[in-house]
Formats: sequence, C-alpha cells, structure tokens
Amino acid sequence: MEPDAQLVQLCLRGDGPSWEELVRRHTRRVYNLCYRFTGNAASAEDLSQEVFLRIFRTLGSYQAVHGAFPTWLTSVTRNLLVDHYRRTRRDRVTDSMEDTMPQLEEKHSPMRAPDKLAEAAELSEQLQRGLARLSPELREAVILRDLQGLDYGEIRGVLQVPEGTVKSRINRGRIELARVLDEMGVRPAQS
Amino acid sequence: MRWEFARRNPEGAEFMDWHCTRTEEQLSDFLEGALPAAEAAAFSSHAASCADCSKLVAQVRGLMRQIEETPQLEVPAPLERKILDATLGPRQETAGTQGWFGWLPLIWQPRFAMGIVTVAASFVIVFHAAAGDNGRSVLNPLNLLRGANRQVHLTYARGAKMVNNLRVVYEIESRLSAQPESMSEPIAPPARPSNDGQPGQQPPANDPHEKSQTIPHPSHHSTPELAEMNLQPHFADGSLYPAPRSTL
Repeated sequence: MEPDAQLVQLCLRGDGPSWEELVRRHTRRVYNLCYRFTGNAASAEDLSQEVFLRIFRTLGSYQAVHGAFPTWLTSVTRNLLVDHYRRTRRDRVTDSMEDTMPQLEEKHSPMRAPDKLAEAAELSEQLQRGLARLSPELREAVILRDLQGLDYGEIRGVLQVPEGTVKSRINRGRIELARVLDEMGVRPAQS
Repeated sequence: MRWEFARRNPEGAEFMDWHCTRTEEQLSDFLEGALPAAEAAAFSSHAASCADCSKLVAQVRGLMRQIEETPQLEVPAPLERKILDATLGPRQETAGTQGWFGWLPLIWQPRFAMGIVTVAASFVIVFHAAAGDNGRSVLNPLNLLRGANRQVHLTYARGAKMVNNLRVVYEIESRLSAQPESMSEPIAPPARPSNDGQPGQQPPANDPHEKSQTIPHPSHHSTPELAEMNLQPHFADGSLYPAPRSTL
C-alpha cells in the first residue's frame, strides 16, 4: 500500500499526526496549483485551506483502488478551482497579476546565485502572466501536465474527459501560451 | 513574419498547408518523443523546410524548457498551521518537555543574545555599586535586617514622643476650660501650700507635668480691645493664643 493510502487509513481511525503528515506532504502541490490557476496569492491561500477542509471531510470517500491519492487530491482541487472561477467570473478584473508574486521555493535551487534567483522569479512571473491569458480549459491542462507533472491518465481522471481531449488541450495550450509569451516579448530559452 | 499557426480561420488557410496543420497537431507528441519513428522523421523533415513550423517548434520547445526551469512557489509559512487549525482545531505548538524548552533556541538569536548580555551587565553594575567602600554590601541580608530593625525602633520612639506631646496639650486645654467662664473677673491666685502641709489647690503630686501647673496670674482686666469686641481671652495670660510650648 502506498504511503499516502496508509496515512489516509490512519486518518480515518482518528490519528491526528497522520493528518498533519498528509497536509505537509501535499500543501505545496495544492498551493502551487491554486496559485498558477488564479494568479493571486491570497486567493491561492484561501483555496488551499478550502481544499484541505473538503479533503478532511470527505476522506472516507477516497478509495485507493480508483487512483493515487495525489490524483484524487488534484481532482478535488481542480473542482474547487472551477467553482471559484465561475463564482468570481463577474468580479474578476482582466489582470489579476497585480498582487505580489509569491516567493519561489529556494529548496529546489540551493546553489542559485541571487541574480539567478531573480531571473527565475521573473521567468515565473512571465509564465504566470501568460497563463492568465489562456482559457481556463487550456490553462488547467497545461498546469496539470507541465507544472504539476501529471501524466495523461491522471489528467483524464482529474478532468473527467477522454484522453484524446486531454492531449489536444495540452497541445493547444502550449502553442497558445508560446504565442502569448512571444507577443509579450518573452523569448524562449535557447538550448 | 507573424505567427499565424494558431489562428484557425477561413482566411488563414493560405498561410498553412496540410503539413503545417499536422505539425501543429502532433507537436507535443513530437517534443515528448511519443511519435513513431517514421512520423517523427516526416515531422522533422517538414519543420526543417518550413520557417513557420520551425519557429513554432523552437518556441514551444523553449516554453517547455522554461516551465521545467521554473521552480515551485514557496508555500506561505502559516498556511500549514492554518489548515491544521481549521481541520483539527487550534492546538499548542508542542507538548511535553519539548514545549517547556521550546524557547531555548530563541536565545541564540542575535537580538535576544544582546538583550541577555545587557541585562547581565546591568546586574553586575548594580551589585558593584551597592557594595560599600569597606566591602560591606548594602544588599547583605543581615545589613538589611539591621536597618529594618533600626527603622522600626525609630518610628516607635517618634510615635511615643508625639503621643506624649499631644497628651500635654490636651491636659492644658482641659485645665483652661475648667477656669471661670468670665475672664473679666480676677482670678484668685492659687493657694500656696501651707506650712502645715495642707495641699490646698496643689495639683496631684503624681502629675508628670509639674512645671506646667504653675499658671501665671492673668491680668486683672482683659484688654479694652477685647472687651469691646466681646472677645474673651482663652488663656491665662489674657491672650487669644496659647503660650509657646517652651513656657510649659
């Protein structure tokens, strides 16, 4: 049994430390997904809490045989993000990128020099601005595939669409994002 | 040349032939290495001969590399705690001995270390200044006890002295109030003690204020001004004010 599935079983027996461990293991994934989708740090934080609150209440409905826990967690997160998107559609301003960009995770780049870190932060912000200009369908497909690292089968499980549609959305999302970044003057990195 | 590969409209057909459309559709598979070898070769061949497709491939490949190099965002520090508080309820940070001594690492922080050094230096200065010139410390508990004992005795002695003084004053006042109401009448001189040992009006011998009992003769008449103002002298010497205490 996978570690996440074991933790879920312990949580269902009322083991608090197991729930803490589960939260620590997946907070970054959920927060990054929320931020990349909304482009707003405060909203991403609130939505992350909402996700874990829902997970906590519906943990009993998770069945390991139907998929890995991260896939189920991503599916719950994605559903909440879609709800949030529909709820805030009328209130949304065209550019929600005015908020301060969250700090980048330095754990993944311990040897980065300050200028490299600043360059990475600028890169991340440009990417976020480009994602904000995609349609929600293409945006979530690119985020799940390229930023969250899910495979096609997992994305199909999250989005509840055929795998062909998943591949098509990812492909079109990448092309559209590249075009948007080109219009923004962002040149692709050379190999 | 402007990209037109992603814009599907009837007018854009002249910008893209069938091969370009297929290149676009299979771009992700090609970049992820999921195309069969034959199709991958045809893809590469077309991309090498088509400027638009070549640029498209370079752009998307650069985008995917850019995404790979983008580090994950750092999770806000209080987020995990907020989540746990919202689900498990507010709890203390740690329990047991770890909770008791959880503050220890804080003292190694520069600001707390400087504060501790400052407080320690202040204590050293205070104790040094409290020590007397002859080496006797004012803060010695024995010296403190002696000082407190001395203060208690001094306070008691001052209180006793004040009570005695008040007692004298009230006694004088009570004697004066016992005088005849009209001070215009001459007051008979006090009877002198007879030779035969008659006490007469001699006050009790046990009066501790023997000197004060010798009240001087008042004037035979009150002063005209006092009589005119219908004021009666309150004291034996005809004045409105008591004699100085030194005369008692």
